[in-house]
Amino acid sequence: MINNLLVEMKNIKKNFGRVQALRGVDFNVGKKEIVGLLGDNGAGKSTLIKILVGYEKADEGEIYFEGKKVSFNSPKEAREMGIETVYQDLALVNLLPIWRNFFLGREIVKGITLSIEEMKRITSEYLKEIGIWVRSPDETVFFLSGGERQAIAIARAMYFGAKLLILDEPTAALSVGETRKVLEHINNVREKGLSVIFISHNIYHVYEVADRLVILEKGIKVGDFKKEDVTPQEIMNIIAKAAGVILKEV
Amino acid sequence: MELKSIGFLKEVVKIFRIKEMGAIIGFIGIFILFSILSSEFISWENLLSTFTMAAELGLVAIGITMLMISGEFDLSVGSTFAVVPMVLALSINNGINPLLGFILGITLGAFIGYLNGIITLKTGIPSFITTLGSMMFFRGILLAITGGFPITLLEHIPFLKYFGGTCIGDLRYSGIWFILFSIIFAFILERTQFGNWTFATGGNLVASKALGINTDRVKLINFIICSLMAGFAGITTFSRFKIIDPTLGQGMELEAIASAVIGGTFLSGGYGSIIGTFLGAFMIGMIRSGLVLAGAPAYWYRAFIGVILVIAAIINIKIRKKIAG
Repeated sequence: MINNLLVEMKNIKKNFGRVQALRGVDFNVGKKEIVGLLGDNGAGKSTLIKILVGYEKADEGEIYFEGKKVSFNSPKEAREMGIETVYQDLALVNLLPIWRNFFLGREIVKGITLSIEEMKRITSEYLKEIGIWVRSPDETVFFLSGGERQAIAIARAMYFGAKLLILDEPTAALSVGETRKVLEHINNVREKGLSVIFISHNIYHVYEVADRLVILEKGIKVGDFKKEDVTPQEIMNIIAKAAGVILKEV
Repeated sequence: MELKSIGFLKEVVKIFRIKEMGAIIGFIGIFILFSILSSEFISWENLLSTFTMAAELGLVAIGITMLMISGEFDLSVGSTFAVVPMVLALSINNGINPLLGFILGITLGAFIGYLNGIITLKTGIPSFITTLGSMMFFRGILLAITGGFPITLLEHIPFLKYFGGTCIGDLRYSGIWFILFSIIFAFILERTQFGNWTFATGGNLVASKALGINTDRVKLINFIICSLMAGFAGITTFSRFKIIDPTLGQGMELEAIASAVIGGTFLSGGYGSIIGTFLGAFMIGMIRSGLVLAGAPAYWYRAFIGVILVIAAIINIKIRKKIAG
């Protein structure tokens, strides 16, 4: 059977002491697919992702990446396989210029010296190529907006050959216009052939770009829909119902 | 015509954006102030001896700048500044080859840095506390060994000339070392991978770790650099006076940190410059000699430094917010 899945997580269970964070979750991401991962606080979204990228170990269950069984011991191992995570606030060093951030940890060096001009040039060119406009690669990240920072972190992951991009609340704390831009970048990412896991509280943001929506609640997968088969309102109802709140049908 | 003036304006803005701008303005300001207050201030003689004083402090400040940028602190540099040359002095006085004594002293310096680093990183206590502890510990060791009396060098050791002796006129070798190490560390900081990681580690520890940088290693190396530089600076001072006073280097940690901050380095890490520290240390040296030449009682020196320090920190923040980029 030709497997068209990039990520396959099977029957993942994880307990923290007596708390059952995940109670047997199946989670897949197809190639070139954008999957929205939804759920309330404490639903198990971040635990699932932490297990995928190697921050945590699952108590039970199996993970396959590109059809091969994997078990990452650290996020570094996951990154080497092409899984990049972009966190809202933790991705960039604000006091450093864009180009230093872009190549941080993967600097181009000639002998012992940094190839500064080359790194600046590549940063400029690549950002331009994928439609991110910045005045200069020398600009300090501190002076960029939240959306620009997010875009640069995404661009960096793409440039360094990520196959799967995990975005943790990429649109939280962004203005409407900036959110629009970030959602555009996510669409660009798919066009470049990457898969995306988009974790968010905001159902509308996820709905706009996702191909499929997965809903977790209290450590259980309570929904897995193709976008065509579901409306944002229905998703809202599922989340509310799982949390014990009954919303009026509209 | 129009285009030309815009180009010129851009160049001016670029110059104002450099990190060391605050330090440069302060440096020029203090230079002018003391030149007006005392005519002897701008004599070559005075400037070179001022630079020598600045160099011994500056060597310490370079190391502390590296460490501060990586997000840590070292209060023990004053004690390291004294115990490293103490080992050298005791070695020589006990008939050990001076070169071996030098190596022993420098090794102790590296060891102090290693100890500060390992304890801080393994236990998670703030380096402020770790190094306050080692500051007292090594000062105590010094006092215990010397019994509180100065150690005087018993014989003439020619090679010490190359650390603290005069080189051209009033310029001492310590000044040459200061320039040399400033260039080396400015290069390391701005143009090597390790420098990049030093900035990143101090600027955003979590992000640096997430990007695969071994932040503990970066910090540990900077702890060692800091102590090595402090020990080396101590040797230059010792080579000048040929005596180890038990109070040698006391209070130096704060002057070294002040040099770094006056030069634009952040106490909180992630931002700073070796060139800035160079100017900062030179500025403190100028204040010291300038006040004496201006006829102010020596007691005013500390007070003056304190005021300059606070003003520098305020200017740094303002400048960075407005035009850094």
